[in-house]
Amino acid sequence: MKQQFTRPVSVVGTSTLGQRYFDDPEYEGLSIYELWACACHQAMDDAGVKPKDIDKIVYSQFANFVTAGNAMAMVGSLEEWAGVAGKPITHIEQACASGYIAFTEACNAVASGKADIVLCAGVETPKHFNARNQPAYMIQPISKYDGWWSPGRVLFDTTYYRFDGVSDNLLTEEQGKYYQKHYGISEETLDETYNAMAVNLRRNASRNPRACERKEYTEIAKENGYDDVMDYMRSDHNPKITQYIRKSGSVLHNVAAGAIIVCSEEMAKKLNKKAVTVIDHASSSNTQRHPYCFHQMNVDVRDALYKNQPDLKGDDLDLMVTTVMTSGEQLDSAEVFGYLPEGKGYQYELDGRTCFDGDTPINPHGGDLSFGHAFGAAGINMISEAILQMRGEAGGCQVPKPVNTCLVRGMGGGHTTVGILLENQQ
Amino acid sequence: MYKLRPILKTYYDSLEDGKVLGMKCTDCGDVVWPPLPTCQKCGGYNLDWYDMGDEAVIDEIRYEDSSVGGDYTFRKANDYFVDKSPYCICVGHFPRGTEQFHAALYGVTEENKDELISQLPLKAKVKFIQLDGGFKSVGFEIKK
Repeated sequence: MKQQFTRPVSVVGTSTLGQRYFDDPEYEGLSIYELWACACHQAMDDAGVKPKDIDKIVYSQFANFVTAGNAMAMVGSLEEWAGVAGKPITHIEQACASGYIAFTEACNAVASGKADIVLCAGVETPKHFNARNQPAYMIQPISKYDGWWSPGRVLFDTTYYRFDGVSDNLLTEEQGKYYQKHYGISEETLDETYNAMAVNLRRNASRNPRACERKEYTEIAKENGYDDVMDYMRSDHNPKITQYIRKSGSVLHNVAAGAIIVCSEEMAKKLNKKAVTVIDHASSSNTQRHPYCFHQMNVDVRDALYKNQPDLKGDDLDLMVTTVMTSGEQLDSAEVFGYLPEGKGYQYELDGRTCFDGDTPINPHGGDLSFGHAFGAAGINMISEAILQMRGEAGGCQVPKPVNTCLVRGMGGGHTTVGILLENQQ
Repeated sequence: MYKLRPILKTYYDSLEDGKVLGMKCTDCGDVVWPPLPTCQKCGGYNLDWYDMGDEAVIDEIRYEDSSVGGDYTFRKANDYFVDKSPYCICVGHFPRGTEQFHAALYGVTEENKDELISQLPLKAKVKFIQLDGGFKSVGFEIKK
């Protein structure tokens, strides 16, 4: 692929901090600040750089006002914890697309020539918060937040969209409706497809120590008296939470921090690190009042990315990493970007071909349904997993073939979709 | 020169008076609802208020069981509706213009949904939805 920046950009470092819950005993006594510092230093160590080498920080966090003691600008504190106080820092808030956008802005900072080495990092705790009158380690379940917070609802602005009685449903159902409408797939087949997808992603996650949920559905099914995992997936143990989406097909929220170091290509050579080249990125934003806006954003981003890569078809990529807030998103995005054939991708899920060891792997780390999802940090974590795959360092979920080209496609809030093309060029 | 004027207040005040307002671009004629001060087609800012009428064309009916509970992420879309009568989701458009939109549609039941879907596209009257915050929103209702 042909990289599209006037100054080539490389990724030379990533964190490997896992996705966990604050309820997990291994996280006892921790706050988001320790996780942030850990992720930032992991990425800097991986890149072989020190805090003094960092020219700029781009940081992503979506719900800081709610979950971090009603703080509006944590940039100074976060810089101190990572040892980069006094450096320029930009905070990105674009819902769950924040991490992806932070990465693209970090790349832009390097491509512009303004910065040589940029730390791109994010942190988020979707299910816990600390009160404004307590220090950050005194965390409480989000259900105790005054006024009870609905992450789905806050994704809609207050001009009109929060009050139409419609938008929440669209977060979960749109892709299923689209698939049925255009490809004549029955609701039963779609249910089987979504269940197979959940099983496949959990199988991937079971081999990834960084994933949040690592017990395979086959094992869970047996524990509940089912020999056939698909019987279990269709049962009341896995209830539908909307018309199409079952519990296993809904995003898994957890606490996480993540960090990535991007730098100029010449700097990567000086650092003598295994570098992944950033080929290009594109994004599109929309509002959920428009029918099928999720699908349309995928189309817009694909067109913006692929127009500069005339030889790229999509099915020639080695790997696709894509946000899967609910099941339909993975299928729709894989088909729109040409990674799976249009209208036929469901069969790939049913046949297990999208597993990490299949011929068309998608989300080998486990995806948002099993790997986990930490709002504004999620995009950085997903890009990190792509980088590990491309370096052959993903561990048990490593795709068993060379991963030299990868599309990372991310979505947040139902209003922003991002596409990032990566390649091993050195 | 861009004319600074209240858009949201005018819109919501008009709903209290039983009128649904959109905006029409005086440069290209495109109509947008809900109202926006910038034309979505040509980018111009010369838009006038435009009465959308009291009827829309329903293109799709999405009947689903809205009683199924989600997790804490996805709460009921009608959380703040005063009237909790069941409704479904539709895709529609105003006959006087506009792109398609999503909206709440009342009057569809398990018993009549197949017949109504077979009749698409069909007309539906505007139904004002009272919100517990003290204002109205716009939904639609199939004629009985």
